[in-house]
Amino acid sequence: MLIDYYPSNSFVHSLDIRTKALGFLVVTVAAFLFLSPIINFTIALVVFLILLSISTPLSRIKKILKPLVPIFIIMLLITGFTYPAEKFQLNMNRQVIFYLLPGESIPFSSGGLFYGITLTLRIFIMVLASTVITSSTPIEDIIQLMQKFKLPYQIAFVIATGIRFIPTMQKKSEMIQEAQKARGAEFGNKGIFGNIKSYIPVLIPLIVDSLRMSENLAIAMLNRGFGAMKNTTNLHEIKMANRDYAICIIELFILASSFWANSLNIGVL
Amino acid sequence: MSQELVRGSIFVDLEKYKYPDNENETLKKLQFKINKGEIIGVMGRTGSGKTSTLMLLNGLIPHFFEGDFKGSVIVNTMNSERYRVQTLARFIGLVMQDPETQIFGITVEKDVAFGPSNLNYSKDKIAKLVKKSLNAVGLLGFEKRITSELSGGEKQRLAVAGILAMEPEILILDEPTSELDPAGKIEIYKLLSEIRQKENVTILISGHDSEEMLNFVDRIIVLDSGTIAWEGKPEHLFINVNLTEKFGIKPIETAEITSALSHKKILDKENVFLNNDKLIEYLKLNFKKSNEKYSEQEKLPLPVHTKTVIEVNNLSFGYRSGESALQNINLKFFKGEFVALIGKNGAGKTTFSKHLNGLLRPTYGQILINGRDIKDVSTSVLSREVGYVFQNPDHQIFSASVKEEIEYGLKNMNLPTDELNERISKVLHFVGLKNYENRHPFTLGKGERQKLAVASILAMEPSILVIDEPTTGQDWDGTKRIMSMMNELHKKGHTIIAITHNLRLAVEYADRIIVFSDGKILLDGTPQEVFTQRKILESAFVVPPDSVLLGDELNKIGFDGSFITIENIINRLIEKLSNVNAN
Repeated sequence: MLIDYYPSNSFVHSLDIRTKALGFLVVTVAAFLFLSPIINFTIALVVFLILLSISTPLSRIKKILKPLVPIFIIMLLITGFTYPAEKFQLNMNRQVIFYLLPGESIPFSSGGLFYGITLTLRIFIMVLASTVITSSTPIEDIIQLMQKFKLPYQIAFVIATGIRFIPTMQKKSEMIQEAQKARGAEFGNKGIFGNIKSYIPVLIPLIVDSLRMSENLAIAMLNRGFGAMKNTTNLHEIKMANRDYAICIIELFILASSFWANSLNIGVL
Repeated sequence: MSQELVRGSIFVDLEKYKYPDNENETLKKLQFKINKGEIIGVMGRTGSGKTSTLMLLNGLIPHFFEGDFKGSVIVNTMNSERYRVQTLARFIGLVMQDPETQIFGITVEKDVAFGPSNLNYSKDKIAKLVKKSLNAVGLLGFEKRITSELSGGEKQRLAVAGILAMEPEILILDEPTSELDPAGKIEIYKLLSEIRQKENVTILISGHDSEEMLNFVDRIIVLDSGTIAWEGKPEHLFINVNLTEKFGIKPIETAEITSALSHKKILDKENVFLNNDKLIEYLKLNFKKSNEKYSEQEKLPLPVHTKTVIEVNNLSFGYRSGESALQNINLKFFKGEFVALIGKNGAGKTTFSKHLNGLLRPTYGQILINGRDIKDVSTSVLSREVGYVFQNPDHQIFSASVKEEIEYGLKNMNLPTDELNERISKVLHFVGLKNYENRHPFTLGKGERQKLAVASILAMEPSILVIDEPTTGQDWDGTKRIMSMMNELHKKGHTIIAITHNLRLAVEYADRIIVFSDGKILLDGTPQEVFTQRKILESAFVVPPDSVLLGDELNKIGFDGSFITIENIINRLIEKLSNVNAN
């Protein structure tokens, strides 16, 4: 689950959401400035270490990354075969590793491979960095950030509640799948169209159930006095502490030096 | 009129209420008064209008559910039509049936704070309210816990705490115990009577828990077809088994036994009791002299174990999180057995059962179904031998007609059309849904939807049936209907494995009971054998049914015999007492 707050007392947890958002921005910009897989790999490693430092269980990281693996492989193949070797600046990247067909047609260039690695690392970095934010920041803080950007409380609340119910819906969908399997349903081995059809017995009860749940939620919100007063109590105001300013300065410094390094032609392919 | 206008009181005078999409009125000629500080039980069949009545009291009807509303509802001196639900929510707290859709916070304390923060209270006040209400529901120390990781009972308490934090003068709970195990049920009722003592709030609770209603509420309102059918003290309701029968309310076992005796003119009418102690006291006084030795009642012939249909060897199962759910289970099930799996929530009953049709695969160990190792057999193939009926029919119904719904499983088996149609009509006849072929499943009532879910499994003609909590959340009529259906299936020769909290079902129908606790098998034997092991049962948090406890007492005063079911007791008392009377 991409969006899943994981409570802990880590340093990252104690940072303000804005500090973390800036960090996300810096990391992403840096990843896109440099084409070299070595630099991107270093960034990915740093983000990964940060993710470990906030005590996210490895199993969760695995769960997030697993569905991305086929995409990564496809990207590597496509870039390797489609990028003409002569497009790269450095000599070593102009080499052809092998040809798909005999007679030197359809070359697989080392530059293309590296470019593919960089692309996958960029996705990898963004996924990990957003996981750092979502698992170290309670939804309440994210709502407050939205409100700071002048999003009405009601809308921010609805978004947050939607997020809160993703695991519940996942559980429901598992229960429904089990119930249909017990009636002889088979999922996932009938080709794309067969699969879509085989999921109808799961989708319909799930939709019906979510409609019922959303009505119950609306009732429950009223029961808890949602909308009774014009203003609500902000239980936990997001606040920048000294460490936030310190980290922000470091983040801005990294951002600036990335631009500088990029202008010096560092990290090209 | 002035006397009604006291805070914490309720005054309902409703001519009618009809939901916008319904043809018929859901509530009609509904009149009742509730005084400040009372605990009121609201009982009646599913569909009798309990939930609608409760939603009337905090303005959900007519504000959220608009429809055709005529009458006046005055709660806590406020006319519900003139205030918004959010405003009424400050004074009238409503806890709904499903705790899942009432929890908004990620952590316990944030969830409890949600209500008061909507009222714009100061942070200090909210902190105090959170602490106070968590204390009231016994969740102090749970502040930082993640709400999605709480148990069913804890979620239910949290839902109550969330409402209590708004300091309501009237607390309303709609079937708060329907998903809980017996121990969890009693806890909720105890909690309510504590809250009443401490906070002096008026409480309304709806539900099907006869024993708890008898012991914990001041007054019962019985609804039938949207109107008040009966109102009065709980003991007056439960003493009259004709009344409870008429309103579809589960009778108290002692009342059932003594009424049966009074019907046979063995006891006088005034000696119909609600409470085992009173009956025993009466028997002691009146039948002491009898010393005649009791000839051992003919024991039921033990079922002959002809063929092993399921064999489970060294089964262990651990979740991916590393927590172990089942430990070294060894079991054999025989053809034609009716086995009840009991134990508290989370003991491993469902986890075990899901191994029988391959929904879960053992971490270690082996399962043989009809002699075949199922390691490499898919659930879809196993479904022809092991039918699994889930608790909630709405998790499987997806078709536009009853017929298509049943067809789904049969089509997965690739049956020819004529056999398919034959099976459909046969199974619909069996469950009592004949002539319903073309109805849309969502136009059926809850009881009928459950029948449909059972039928869709039965049509596949599995020889083994696993039924998961068939009576949970059902009213008495539904419970009886399901129990007799299971009994019929058993007679037809199906091997039945029922996961249940309903020990009455277990003692009356099962020929074998298996007690689960912490992923292990604690006891395995006939109902007689299992229920004599009181100490072990206690450690698994299983309280024997009332009939078994009464049987104990009867043994102590010389009515010796093995008493397990109500029928056992009635027969023995008739036999013994008519002898004494004759002497």
